[in-house]
Amino acid sequence: MLEISDLVMRFGGVTALDRVGFTVADNEICGLIGPNGAGKTSLFNCITRIYRPEEGAVRFNGTDLLSLRRHQIVRHGIVRTFQNLALFPTLSVLDNTVVGAHSTSTPHLVPSLLGWPTTRAARRRVEADAWELLERLELTDLAFHPAAGLPFGTLKRVELARALISRPSLLLLDEPAGGLTHSEVNELGQLILGLRDDYGFSALLVEHHMGLVMGISDHVVAMDFGRTIADGSPAEVQRDPAVAEAYLGRTA
Amino acid sequence: MLEPKTTPAQAPASTKRGPRVIRRGGREHTVLLGIGAVLAVLVILWGGQLDPFNQGQLTRVAIFAIAIVGLNIATGYIGLLSVGHSAFFGLGAYTTGVLVVKYEWDPLMTIPAALVVCLVVGLLVGLPALRIRGLYLAMVTLAFGVAFPEIVAHFDDLTGGAEGMTIRRQQLRPPEWSGFTLGERSQWVYWLCVVVLLIVMWIAHNMVRGRYGMAMIAVRENEIAAASSGINIAVMKVTAFGVSGAVTGVAGSLFAMYIGSLFAEGSFTLLAGITLLIGLVIGGEATRSGPLVGALAVVFVPYYAAELGQGQVAAVLFAVVLIFVIFVAPAGIVGGIAKAVRKVVVVTPRIPRKPEGTQQS
Repeated sequence: MLEISDLVMRFGGVTALDRVGFTVADNEICGLIGPNGAGKTSLFNCITRIYRPEEGAVRFNGTDLLSLRRHQIVRHGIVRTFQNLALFPTLSVLDNTVVGAHSTSTPHLVPSLLGWPTTRAARRRVEADAWELLERLELTDLAFHPAAGLPFGTLKRVELARALISRPSLLLLDEPAGGLTHSEVNELGQLILGLRDDYGFSALLVEHHMGLVMGISDHVVAMDFGRTIADGSPAEVQRDPAVAEAYLGRTA
Repeated sequence: MLEPKTTPAQAPASTKRGPRVIRRGGREHTVLLGIGAVLAVLVILWGGQLDPFNQGQLTRVAIFAIAIVGLNIATGYIGLLSVGHSAFFGLGAYTTGVLVVKYEWDPLMTIPAALVVCLVVGLLVGLPALRIRGLYLAMVTLAFGVAFPEIVAHFDDLTGGAEGMTIRRQQLRPPEWSGFTLGERSQWVYWLCVVVLLIVMWIAHNMVRGRYGMAMIAVRENEIAAASSGINIAVMKVTAFGVSGAVTGVAGSLFAMYIGSLFAEGSFTLLAGITLLIGLVIGGEATRSGPLVGALAVVFVPYYAAELGQGQVAAVLFAVVLIFVIFVAPAGIVGGIAKAVRKVVVVTPRIPRKPEGTQQS
């Protein structure tokens, strides 16, 4: 269970997060919505320790995430995807995915230098695992193609593969539907639900595509100006006047 | 059925058919590799019976290639620009020189010693990489490169200072088991350098084709994504810098055996560091054979340039070659050739499938 409480993050005079707090239960898909600049990505960056919040706490299954360093987050079962993609352009789609397994099967220097049989076997194992994921995400045709130059929506799926290979217990998805067509968004929703059923993770989903968020989330949190303005079932949040106000402005 | 699609980036615009696809480990691939290996053996054997001068040139190529393989680990793969790798080259050379001259070590035994010394110093010099990057780190390595000759001059009772240090011919006698006599010393050094080069290239191959190398490239290309994937960037950068320094130090150790006399003001100045960097750029950063091609350029271009003109002309010609290569092939000679070859032949890895019966949920 992910517990976020009273998180505060400021950039100069701008308060990006202003006492944000909510929880994501195990195996739950939690949608996180809000207008641009509401602080959704800042929150992701705090959870994954790219930012250091000034106040508040983030705990995951009892572990204080704020005491960890960036690269240790994934060892506690949390991985993310990025809003504007963060892939390794010269590495192939397969190798991008393989790098995601660094935490679960860490390559060590000396055996790697010597090409030790166990190192080779570990690589074969990880690659086979990556291949299965690529099959699942329909990326095998491009497996040996470098990430550079592929379409945005395809690369979003590559990020998903890289995240899933570490078998996360919490997946942070930052606008996974970015760059997708309408029908692809529906497929993505079914894919996320299917993956959740197969691999068993909870997910925090930042998304502007309301159909997707409301369609697959068990629970939705709405943010505006760094604050939590609504927290409940998709239907409740949709009806919430504060949410309508955040998106459409106050009626005169 | 699972042939990789030829994507627009790979498909040549002019021909109708896409590049020929060869499966890694397949028969065609094995044959090609075999031909390459035979050619390499022939070149090495040919070098073994050359006259002393030309053989010496090849020995220098091997030494520079080792040094550039080292530099490639830091600068090519993990992206830590080092201008001052000449200091590791010099440190390796002086480790061998001092141990042989002052402590009468067997020259062969000084190679691991130079490796360890340069590894430790490399880890220390790499420490700033934890906090700074890019040009700022290059400044640190620049300072290291500039300081090295001064440090050598300072410890003149050990290093001979500005007068240099000469290793007596007797002390560089080839070992008994090698079958080479003292008169055949240059042949012995040639074979030693070739063997060490092959070992170093094999190790670099293992590293960069494995997941460790992928992690290094990941750090170079996107630090945040690498960290989010669980890579400890700090440890990886410092380690890579240490290994890089150690490999270049081994080259320095061999250089001491080859040249027999060490002058820090001559061989190990910043200019040498920049020469290594130029070799890496000409050959091809982050390629496995780029360092060897770069070493050929670094040894032979100034040599032939010197035949065409005196003094500055050679330097200018070298600069022209560098600019030409960067203009024609921004990824270096090997990178450029690889790109051209990919239009004709593409080698794809085997499809990694789980062996039957080990399916996991």
